[in-house]
Formats: sequence, structure tokens, C-alpha cells
Amino acid sequence: MRYSYIKPRRKSIFTAELQLLFVFFGITVFMLFLTYAFLLFKDYRFSQDVKDIDTKRVALNINIANMKKQITFIEKENLLSERIYTQNMVLKDSITNLFDLVPQRITLSEAKLLKNGLILYGITPNKDIYNFMLQAPLRSIFHKTYSSFYPLKNGWFRFVSTNYIDDNEVDDEIDNILNTDDEVKNES
Amino acid sequence: MLSRFFESLYHKVFVNIVVLRSKTIVLIETVGNNGIMENIEESFNTTSLDDNMYNFISSYTNESPFYYVSLLDKTLSQGASPTCEKAQMDNYFDRSLSQYTCYHNRWVYYTSKVDIHSLQKEYSRVGVDFIFSPFVVLSQFFKDKIDTNMAMFILVEDTFVTLCIFDNSELLYAKHLDMEHYKGDDELLMEDQESNEIELDLAIDGDMNLEEIDADELDNLGDIEDLDSLDDLDEFSDAKDIEEELQENLEEMPVHEVDSFNEDYQRFLLIQGALNDFYKNDKHASQFIETVYIADGVGISGDLKRYLEEEMFLNVYIRNMDINVEICELAKAELK
Repeated sequence: MRYSYIKPRRKSIFTAELQLLFVFFGITVFMLFLTYAFLLFKDYRFSQDVKDIDTKRVALNINIANMKKQITFIEKENLLSERIYTQNMVLKDSITNLFDLVPQRITLSEAKLLKNGLILYGITPNKDIYNFMLQAPLRSIFHKTYSSFYPLKNGWFRFVSTNYIDDNEVDDEIDNILNTDDEVKNES
Repeated sequence: MLSRFFESLYHKVFVNIVVLRSKTIVLIETVGNNGIMENIEESFNTTSLDDNMYNFISSYTNESPFYYVSLLDKTLSQGASPTCEKAQMDNYFDRSLSQYTCYHNRWVYYTSKVDIHSLQKEYSRVGVDFIFSPFVVLSQFFKDKIDTNMAMFILVEDTFVTLCIFDNSELLYAKHLDMEHYKGDDELLMEDQESNEIELDLAIDGDMNLEEIDADELDNLGDIEDLDSLDDLDEFSDAKDIEEELQENLEEMPVHEVDSFNEDYQRFLLIQGALNDFYKNDKHASQFIETVYIADGVGISGDLKRYLEEEMFLNVYIRNMDINVEICELAKAELK
């Protein structure tokens, strides 16, 4: 029932104070949402970085393994080169010694250096000079020595001296040398 | 639906403003879901909305967006007429200039649109939701009596008297009477009486020259003597007794009671004039009034009742009323 001359004003709960409150609440929620989105983005970036770093780490580990292999290989090569150098030095000394061993009365016409042997061709005035002055030192160096003589018209002998070093024994010697090197490194 | 839900979350604040002659009474009633929570009444020594009143009202209206400000219309241009048919309304008031509302499709109360706008403008700082007519307040207050009686119903307030005559809820006559407006005539009347008395005293005290008195005046005196001899004129003697009694009462009463007495006498004269108008005016369906119900919103003395009983032979029943509370009830009823 209507009693008043006028109608009451429309009432709303959204007063000016409440509107202000909602505006501030809205701004706060918006800022929180922005912060949350920023943190999500940073989290995503961080996880991506972690994945990248993991991948790099795995790659570096593989590289390190490869490098270790290469180092091992190079060390082996180094050992081999040292071995070859030693062999060469030994060979050089042997050849020098060989030529030093050859007496003046024996003439060498040809010398063949094999991997594990030495073949000498030459002329000797007689067999004794050869046996005493050349074969004896050769036997001290090589493990197996074979000699063949062919008489010449002037009474001298052409000879072929075939000398072999036993491979297994040489390897054993090299291994012994290497082992002694390793022991020295470990001790240092 | 949603607004109902929000409304249930807040309590309602009813602000009821009644402007008296020199002060304003503001009643604040806070109503929650479980009934009345708070009821505060404050009086302000102003008749307009000043800062003190505004701050007082704001302190309560700020608590809830659902607050309703109610005013009582006290303007002079208001009235009520016994019909709700627009064609017949024109016989009583100008519809184009008036704001009117039908009461239960039986009678209509109206007031000036300009006055409504000026009231809304005056209280625009707090806003106005309801403006109630004193006729509605009176009708609601005596609802139980109006429906079953043929009687006169009067709302007595500080500065006005609202008067209705109902015959079993059918409005016969309605009048809104302003005491301040009437006061001017009354004072003039009193002044005339006083000046006559002074002249009479001077005439008695001073030397009276009988030769200067005209024959016509002597005739008049003779008429007065005739009147004095008419001892069987009861009404005249009663009136004289009342005047003497009034004079005695005036001398004995303190100042504020004298004011109250004057006001009650003015009210009596207003009611008497209105009732005469009802009886004499052919526009109204005139019926003899035996009973009067008075809603006392100001605290009238027993004099008014006595005048009405002794002078107009009416059966007077007085019911005390807090007009602010009634306005608040009307505001609640309108929101239901």
C-alpha cells in the first residue's frame, strides 16, 4: 500500500565508499595476478634454463669422456713414439756399432735392415777373420745368426750374413722399460 | 532476488523528521532481521536542516545503504476529499498543481507539487524518501475507530490541527488548520478586547460627564440592562462563567501553562470553526457529530477536552500519539 506522496529513492549497496573499495580490491587482485603470471613465466624460464644446462652438462660429460679417450690415445701414441724413438735410437746405435764392428779387412757390399733382422753382403779374405772379427759381435746383438760363404777366384769369400732378433723377447724388453716408467710416474 | 539478498545483509535505518514550531525532532530507528535494534530520538533547536542535524543523521545513514528519510507534510495547501474519481476531484482541488494519492480507493489526500519540491530541495543533503500527509497518519492511527464509527478525528500537533470526519470509513469532511496562520486574527481580537477594556476603565476612573453621553448610547445601555435582567438565558450565563473561569485560570497559571491554555483555546476555536463549516457548507454531507477522537501529538491540557464537551456537547476521547513513531510505522508499511 502506498501512503507517501513520493516514491523512495532506489537503494543500492554500491555506495561511493564501496565502489572505491572495489576499485582498490580490483587493482590489488590485478597486481597479484600480474605477479603470479610473472612468477609463472620466471618459473618456466628457470625450468628451461635447467633443461639447457642439463643438456650442456651431458654434452660436456660426453666431450670430457671423448677427450679422456683422446688423451689416453695420445698417451699411447706418445708411448709408441717413445718406443719407436727408442727402437730407432737402438737401431741407430746398432748400425753405428755394426759399422764399427766391421773390421777393415772385411768389405761390405750391401746391408739390408729388416724389421727384426739384418742381412749383410760382403767380401772377407777368409772365413776366420769373418768368424772372429764380425760374427762374434753380431751374435752378441742378434739372437739368430746364419752365415753363408761363396768362394771367389782370388781366394777371398763372398759372404751372406743373415741375423734375426726374436720379436717376443724385444716386446718383453719394451714392456719392462714401460713398466719401470709407470712405476717412476706413480712414485712421483 | 539479488537485491533482496543484499537487503537482508544490511539493517534498515529509518530517519523520521518532524518540524515543530521552533525545533525539529529526529527519530532514528534501526531495524534488523530480528526486529528493532536501536531507537534514538534527538531534538534540534532549528526548523531547517543545519550541520548538527545533518551530522547526526549522517552518522546513522552511513552505516547502511538502505536508509529511508521520512517527512511529515505540514504545508497549508494540503487537504483531503471524499472521492477517488478524477472527474470529481476537480470539485475539491486543482489536480494539475497538486500531488495526490488515493487511500484504499475511498478518498484522496493531496498537497501542492511546489511544496513537495521545496521540501525535497530543503532536505536534499540527506535526501527524502517519503513525505506523509497528516491525514494518512490520522487514518492509520484511528483505523480501528474509523471503520466502525461516525465521528470526528483530530490530529493535534504543535502548530497545526488536522481534522477529519468519517462515517464508517467514508470521508465526509477534512481540513488541515494551521495555528500560526490563525494566530494573527486571534491576537487582533484579543487586542480589540483589551483596548475596549482600557477605554472602559478610563471612562470609569475619569470624570464622567453624563451630558456628553448621546441618547443613542443611552439606548444601548438600556439594551444591556435588559440583557442583565434575562437571568434565564443559560447559554449567556454559561459563557460568562467560562470567561470568568478563563480569567481566573490565566491569573493562577504559570507562563508556560498560560501558553498551553492559549493554544488549546485556539485549537478549540479552530475545531469549532471547522465543525461549523461542515454543518453549514452544502458541499458536505452534513451529519450530526457526537463523538470526537483526538490523537494528541503534543500533550494537550484537559482544557481542550472540557471546551469540546461543555461548549459543543461532544464525547471526547484522547489517545496519546508519538507522531515520529507513526511516521516510522508508515514508512515500514510502505516498504512491505
